[in-house]
Amino acid sequence: MTPQKPAMEFTYHIGWRSRGRHPGRHTSAQTGLGMEFRNHAPLISHPDPRRIDLRQTLRDPFEQVWVRVFNQKSSVPVFVICDLSGSMGFSGHSRKLDIASEITAAAAYSAHRVNDPFGFIGFDDTVREDWGLIASNRVHGAMDIAERLRHYHPAKVGADGLLGVSDYLKRERSLIFLISDFHMPLEALERALTPLVRHHIVPMVLWDAAEYRSLPDFGIASVADAETGARRTLFLRESYRERILQSFEDRRAALHQLFMRHQMPPFYVENGFNADDLSEYFYQFVAS
Amino acid sequence: MSFTSPLFLFLLPIALLPLMLERHHSRAYSWLDLIPRDPLSDIVGMLLKVLAVIALLFIILGVAGPHSAQQKIKKVGEGAQIVMVMDRSASMDDPFSGASNGRAGETKSTAASRIITQFFGQRTSDMFGMVTFSNSAMYAMPLTQNREAVQAAIAAAGGAALFQTNIGSGLTMGTSLFENIPDSGSRVMILLSDGGGRIGSDAQQKIRDWLNKLDITLYWIVLREPGGLSIFDESYKPDSDKALPVEIELYNYFKTLRSPFHAYEAEDPKSLAAAISDIDQKERKPIKYYEEIPGRDYSQHCYFIALLMISLLLAVKYLEVRTWH
Repeated sequence: MTPQKPAMEFTYHIGWRSRGRHPGRHTSAQTGLGMEFRNHAPLISHPDPRRIDLRQTLRDPFEQVWVRVFNQKSSVPVFVICDLSGSMGFSGHSRKLDIASEITAAAAYSAHRVNDPFGFIGFDDTVREDWGLIASNRVHGAMDIAERLRHYHPAKVGADGLLGVSDYLKRERSLIFLISDFHMPLEALERALTPLVRHHIVPMVLWDAAEYRSLPDFGIASVADAETGARRTLFLRESYRERILQSFEDRRAALHQLFMRHQMPPFYVENGFNADDLSEYFYQFVAS
Repeated sequence: MSFTSPLFLFLLPIALLPLMLERHHSRAYSWLDLIPRDPLSDIVGMLLKVLAVIALLFIILGVAGPHSAQQKIKKVGEGAQIVMVMDRSASMDDPFSGASNGRAGETKSTAASRIITQFFGQRTSDMFGMVTFSNSAMYAMPLTQNREAVQAAIAAAGGAALFQTNIGSGLTMGTSLFENIPDSGSRVMILLSDGGGRIGSDAQQKIRDWLNKLDITLYWIVLREPGGLSIFDESYKPDSDKALPVEIELYNYFKTLRSPFHAYEAEDPKSLAAAISDIDQKERKPIKYYEEIPGRDYSQHCYFIALLMISLLLAVKYLEVRTWH
């Protein structure tokens, strides 16, 4: 187990208007003390003499006094929804749950820096309430969760709990980092994604090169499925390795297509998590 | 096909264990559904289990000791069914007093066993049995075709002798060897002793009946010290107050047998050999007998197959992926 690295920070933004009342860093639909002009309002209905627009007042033939109204900047709840199923215990070049822990810590820290509340939801076959963290501005709870993730060894369970995750989310539109290897049937995944589409989802796809790219060249291996426990003997050889690689490439394409259909460009994490890549992701895919 | 210890066959279900138990030390993989099915891999996986099953199966079979049933083969040969009834009383350890053949010190028993061995060596298709007696009869060898066993029995009869002479019990046991053996048509009992012994009247009657019933020709070879009393000496008259010597008494009894009887006297190894060769001449009739061929033991084959399977498994173990990452 690698020692815990200090939490990395990335910057993120959203392409939609937050409805949150708490001041923050994101464009918002709330009127308030901000820089973004929204409309004019009569002083009677919006009694804020500091914002009287002289030019608009003079131009008005009915001689009303007009006030400029601005949108404030608001905070956005940030959630990490983390898959705790058996396959996340897979340890190749690095353990998937270690990477999930890094991402959680980075997201919590980055959210804390811009005053966004941060929450955590873990699921395997059900939503794990013992892994739940209500969205708040206090960062230490999230850091505890990140530490617990590093020591967690998942049981042989599937990931069906993703279906129930939406019940634990805020009604308010939130930014969600969905951390999983998405080793589940595509139909199940699609069904689970449907109730989540009102949120801003960033699928974080954790794959490991040891799963497919750096398989041994030749030999016999007995493998057990981390979730079902089913066992198979693999006679690895050149042609079979290529077929496995091809199967993973097909899977990646299928996943990509599914996510893009829901307008959730996936973020692939394969050789360790780099926060800068995630910042880059937001610049690339999210219009500010 | 039968088994030496068939109880071990109850362990056979153990051989199926590899089919039911999974390998303990397989490595965890995140999602097997992503790995395409591969018939060759499935065959290899199945093969490994089958190898283990076969190995266990044949180990258990080997422990149970399979062998084929023993067979009986009917053989027809020239010769006889010969039972040697040999005196092992203490007096047989004395030498012939003659010094012929340069074997001055050869005792009667060694000479007898040497000459009988020669006799036996000439008669390749005979069945031999052996009974020795002193105070009572000793069962040495049933009637058999196994030459090595007979040689060993004869050689053993040349050893140190025991107490006294009880001819009656030797003869009864000698006749009993012929029971339960199909009559080949030529049954011979050779009684080799150095003198006589008294036989009780009950035993006399019994021996007479049995020899008659089983149709056995009796040859009696008396090893006599030169100059000693001859059983053929018709003119011998004992002292009036004494009974007849035992040899003569026995000879007279044998003459009353309803079955064929011949007596020989041997004073030295040469005359003993002459007597034996005379018997050899007389007993040359075809005989029928069954030869028992022991079953073949297949447990070695079983172990060999198991070894083969295990070495194949070891070879696969060598192919096993050790460094996954």
